[in-house]
Amino acid sequence: MAQRLALQRLLSLPTRGPLAAHGRALGTSAGRRSTFNVQDGSDFQDRVLNSPKPVVVDFHAQWCGPCKILGPRLEKLVAKLEGKVLMAKVDIDDNTDLAIEYEVSAVPTVLAMKNGDVVDKFVGIKDEDQLEAFLKKLIGA
Amino acid sequence: GKNEYDLLVIGGGSGGLACAKEAAQFGRKVAVLDYVEPSPPGTTWGLGGTCVNVGCIPKKLMHQAALLGSALKDAQHYGWNISQPVHHTWSVMAQSVQNYVKSLNWGHRVQLQEKKVKYFNIKGSFSDPHTVRGLTKAGKETVVTADNIVIATGGRPKYPMHVAGALEYGITSDDLFWLKESPGKTLTPFVFNVSLECAGFLTGIGLDTTVMMRSVPLRGFDQASHISKENQICFTTQQQMASLVTEHMESYGTKFLKRCFPTKVEKLKDNRLQVTWKNADLGTEETDSFNTVLWAVGRAPDIKTLNLETVGVKTNSETGKIIVDASEATSVPHIYAVGDITEGRPELTPTAIAAGKLLAQRLFGRSSELMDYDNVPTTVFTPLEYGCVGLSEEAAVQRHGSDNIEVYHAYYKPLEFTVAERDATQCYMKMVCLREREQRILGLHFIGPNAGEVIQGFALGIKCGATYPQMMKTVGIHPTCAEEVTKLHITKRSGLDATVTGC
Repeated sequence: MAQRLALQRLLSLPTRGPLAAHGRALGTSAGRRSTFNVQDGSDFQDRVLNSPKPVVVDFHAQWCGPCKILGPRLEKLVAKLEGKVLMAKVDIDDNTDLAIEYEVSAVPTVLAMKNGDVVDKFVGIKDEDQLEAFLKKLIGA
Repeated sequence: GKNEYDLLVIGGGSGGLACAKEAAQFGRKVAVLDYVEPSPPGTTWGLGGTCVNVGCIPKKLMHQAALLGSALKDAQHYGWNISQPVHHTWSVMAQSVQNYVKSLNWGHRVQLQEKKVKYFNIKGSFSDPHTVRGLTKAGKETVVTADNIVIATGGRPKYPMHVAGALEYGITSDDLFWLKESPGKTLTPFVFNVSLECAGFLTGIGLDTTVMMRSVPLRGFDQASHISKENQICFTTQQQMASLVTEHMESYGTKFLKRCFPTKVEKLKDNRLQVTWKNADLGTEETDSFNTVLWAVGRAPDIKTLNLETVGVKTNSETGKIIVDASEATSVPHIYAVGDITEGRPELTPTAIAAGKLLAQRLFGRSSELMDYDNVPTTVFTPLEYGCVGLSEEAAVQRHGSDNIEVYHAYYKPLEFTVAERDATQCYMKMVCLREREQRILGLHFIGPNAGEVIQGFALGIKCGATYPQMMKTVGIHPTCAEEVTKLHITKRSGLDATVTGC
């Protein structure tokens, strides 16, 4: 609930920049529909907070080495779940206010979100088994 | 009406951030403004100031890259099978360094958030002594009012405006650390610490590098140096130390064009730069082409857009820096300044941080402790590093008279250089002491590997008033370079040979 109110505040900031030239989705064809890059605060509102499906939010940075390992690993596992859960990637330099709002201090930080609420979280790299358990808990619970 | 903040800090660098975070510790409402005006070629960076983005941090990392290159050359003598010559790829180093700097930008942002300091990415200017306004990137005007304001906007590299083409075709340290591609064959006029350090690591990673100097090394720095005579930082007017450092660089491949100054820079068809210069000794005009011209002609205080005249903050007419008293107060009540922007202070991160913290403690913490600018240790990270603390030999002579000081000195050879067959001709140290009574140590100067690490500990001794007899009673750690300090016994006065003897 607190996050939703915080996001209302965010929406009053000038946000909507031009859409990235390469579009919103990325990854292999299998991952194409289940993984997307968050553009700004209102995009986050639409596709994460208002998502009917649970969403895994991957806060990452261009300058972060471990992020480059965790990202693809997580994407692969999300793709295997065939749409049961979505993955939102947030570049913390492009979306600093959002990252600050969700109290991201180190990267990678991954949030599990359901109905606009944060239900789980981890910081740093995890192996495939740990990630599978994390995702299972998100869908199952 | 009432001001919105207890403290507003303009400038998110070493001094500004330290002051803001300290003030927030006292439960005060604090805001920080930070804004980076892009350099002429368009380089820009994040929160953290000069040190983090275009100073100490990237400089030291690239210096390390160059040192590793030397280590690889030495390694063969120690048994490693490394095929020579070893090659360096600029883009790999630059990417790693730039990524680390960006992680620091983020770290600072998080720290401000955690300490509940409000952050605005705007370029502020005064409208009255308690009001600063600026535009956000989105063009929205923001007005901030505060009971107390600290100016900590630092400085930016100067361009030699009298040299045709300097601005259009040259870069500065603001740009060097953010280059994605190698600077290639580089010319750097003139000789300040920055240019020596940069020329040093550029040579170290294998680039064709030339330093152009108008006169004696570091003399230009001293004349342009805005450090008052009383607070003479150890490395200014240190002719002897400067000569040794540059001699070493020369023997390691940096080219030096002495007694020369550039007159114009032009762009060639293949995008290389043609530089023309006058040779003052020969009275001739010479020319050569380079990929990069890196200007290092000093730094100017960043005050242009602050609108200081409106509020009456006095600046030094020659340097443009803000005049402050011992409590960092400007000529306007409730307006203070710390860091590189202030007149007569060292342009160093640790002093800016300490001054910023102490200022916050005096404003909000009922402290009365002033910043002590005496005996500030520092190091120039040239290939052979020069570290020092206390007075230079020249300053000591000026203050006490040459009859009242004793200078102990020695050349030495680091053990690690022996097997590697490295030349240690410029490895040297000197200690300046008072001659009478307890023979208090006034200054210590050290040229050699890890000079910063060596000098740091001795800085404590000097702060505590260490004397020559106490130094002689201090047992050295063996085998190190630092131990040689505890063994200094040959005086300059004696005229005896100070070169290395055996172990």
